[in-house]
Amino acid sequence: MRWQDAWAWAWAALKAQRLRSLLTIIGFAVGIAAVSLLSALGEGMRQFILQEFTQFGSNIIAINPGKTETFGMGGLLTTTRPLALDDAQLLQSLAQVEQVVPVVFGNGQVKAGTRSRYTDIAGVGSSAAQAWKLKVAQGHFLPDDDLQQPRSFAVLGSKLKTELFGHRNALGETVHIAQSRFRVVGVMQPKGEFLGTDLDDLIYIPAQKALQLFNRDSLMEIDVFYSEHVTTEQIERLVKQTLIDRHGREDFTVITQDAMLASLDKILAIVKLAAAGLGSIALLVGGVSILTIFSITVSERRQEIGLMRAIGFTATQLRNLFLLEALMMAMIGGISGYGLVLFPLLLMRLLRPDFPLAFEPLILVLTLALSAVIGLFAGIKPALDAAKLPPIAALRDE
Amino acid sequence: MRLADYWQYSLPVFVRHKSRTALLTLAVAIGVCSVVLLTSIGEGARHFIEREFASLGTQLLIILPGKKETQGGAPPLYGTTPRDLTLDDMRAIAHLPTIDKMAPVIAGTTLISFGNRSREAIVMGSTPEFFAIRNLLIGQGQILPASASDYHVPVIVLGSKLKQELFGQQEALNQWLKVGDYRFRVLGVLQERGESLGLDLRDMAVIPVRSAEMVFDSPALFRILVQLKQAQLERYTEQRIRKIIAERHEGEDDISFVSQDSLLSAFYSILNTVTAVVGAIAGISLIVAGVLIMNVTYISVAQRRQEIGLLKAIGATRKQVQRIFIGEALLLTSAGVIGGLLVALLALQLARWFWPEFPLTPSGWALALATSAALVLGWLFSWLPANKAASLDPILALKGLH
Repeated sequence: MRWQDAWAWAWAALKAQRLRSLLTIIGFAVGIAAVSLLSALGEGMRQFILQEFTQFGSNIIAINPGKTETFGMGGLLTTTRPLALDDAQLLQSLAQVEQVVPVVFGNGQVKAGTRSRYTDIAGVGSSAAQAWKLKVAQGHFLPDDDLQQPRSFAVLGSKLKTELFGHRNALGETVHIAQSRFRVVGVMQPKGEFLGTDLDDLIYIPAQKALQLFNRDSLMEIDVFYSEHVTTEQIERLVKQTLIDRHGREDFTVITQDAMLASLDKILAIVKLAAAGLGSIALLVGGVSILTIFSITVSERRQEIGLMRAIGFTATQLRNLFLLEALMMAMIGGISGYGLVLFPLLLMRLLRPDFPLAFEPLILVLTLALSAVIGLFAGIKPALDAAKLPPIAALRDE
Repeated sequence: MRLADYWQYSLPVFVRHKSRTALLTLAVAIGVCSVVLLTSIGEGARHFIEREFASLGTQLLIILPGKKETQGGAPPLYGTTPRDLTLDDMRAIAHLPTIDKMAPVIAGTTLISFGNRSREAIVMGSTPEFFAIRNLLIGQGQILPASASDYHVPVIVLGSKLKQELFGQQEALNQWLKVGDYRFRVLGVLQERGESLGLDLRDMAVIPVRSAEMVFDSPALFRILVQLKQAQLERYTEQRIRKIIAERHEGEDDISFVSQDSLLSAFYSILNTVTAVVGAIAGISLIVAGVLIMNVTYISVAQRRQEIGLLKAIGATRKQVQRIFIGEALLLTSAGVIGGLLVALLALQLARWFWPEFPLTPSGWALALATSAALVLGWLFSWLPANKAASLDPILALKGLH
């Protein structure tokens, strides 16, 4: 038998039971659609979150005071083993280090004339804008002053600027935080949220001023941006050694972006897998559907099977024919299921391009492969049953 | 036709088509089972959180220094502000009649050392009330003395893990150890207890609040924990506290509140959404099973064409024929539902056995929903084929013709 004949035979068999095939295909297609939609959502979410975290670049390590790792809480608490501006300065002098951003966060009231607003205060270094890829809308970012003796300049987030100054010009104006005066030298472009902090409702001041303001002697974090020519391990070792030499002991925690991303990615991959797993329950039921319908079909076509055996089909040929029919049903189901998802996906992409939905051709291939496997599994028992029928008995069968 | 007649009529069909019956039941059972199992994870998480919070006492209000006017943002969790929230501020609100207990918290990381062993740990400065509010039980020795509320007393209560790491099997009580640059005497060791709301208390130590001011050289409180006398007093208490703090802080109420209620409701709304979505996704499999029911019922109608013709010829009405096929589908669905529920409940029982700290509980509404969804789908999907059977022409059908 030529494969074209086998193909035509299976196709004819499917068409002969139009309604039955259609319903089976629909059931299976729903299952496939569930799996591919959920994995697209899962993958989209994964990419979205990873992108959130890599938007500041990838050659970063963060240093927090304290050796305990409790969700990065260590940096927020007070400490007797401070991470000081001197440390930041020292790290800056390393050849492999491109930029160092000392960070201290706090909260307070920012006053400008008669208006005021309680908001977040970020004490940073002059390289923060470049390192974190923040864009200035007006003026410039904090100037490259001595870390220990910076001038009292401030840069406003876009929202804070509007709240304090409305449409008036803010550059050159004075704002007060507690008893300290700052001159506004820049206004940032809108940036959005990051981890629940509105980066637009924020004021940037020099880290040293912030430490003074909050009466702290420890930074919350030092972000080190290193050159692409060194590996993460090298820079991690170097930074640790440098700080240990200074502090006498390892009283800080170093988190590399790679390590953080890796653990984040692990969690997200699990979430994605779980989502696909959830969808595959429906696919499992779809597989059971094919099995049910197919075993009914085989038992109905005993006479046909008997006839085929009688005119010389071998048991293997018959088995393969029925397998092909099951496979065809599953593949059609798979393709239509994917089509079912593709359409809303494309629509979504057109309407809301920012919605995190990833959409990989790989999924199509996987879906089809999965359909084929399920089709084969569901078809194997009925096909074997068909092949095993004694031709005479099958022919006589009513 | 009586109910018993329907039963007698349909039963042989199931017996004759054993594998078909079994497979259909299996399909429905998979759907029902997955809905119940998956929603019970959400329910389990809810119980877990409830239990965690129950250990915190009922009416907890947390005061944080700092304030944010950004809409909908998180409260200022880092307790760094130009104007500190201090012990004196806490004293000033102590007289409020709705407050039952209060505990200040100064939290910081420092080096704790005993002999040649040392350990970087989080140290909390607080008062005896802290233990009552956080429901911390002492394993050995005692909690901070009453004098620790007002004075520097060089005593420390260790978390169980911290004790283990510093002392091993050695006796820890009444030993002197170093916290930062100061010496403290071990007064007690906390009972072993798991993580509570993200704070692993086994790995921490508690010292008097005045001592913490000294160790960390700052009077700034990180939090004030307030336990209210009864529920529903939060709003009122918040307003009173804001007013008092504003009087003391040059007219500025620069504090934020996190209440247990708001935390819980935030948790629950997330949890409910997740549970509903997961349940709905599992429900897709029920729809697939429904399509299968429809398919099989169509096949059944086609195979029993002559039988239907006979039934109609001897006087069965449209309604009765329809009822036969819908009834059969519903019987199969019910078998699937029962099977699915049994497997799900058994699996949950097993899960609870192996994993008692996370109580996976089937929620009543999920059981009811899964059952009714399956039955409704069974009815809906068998309706069309049953209708087809009912409208068969008796004479043609008897002859086996279309």
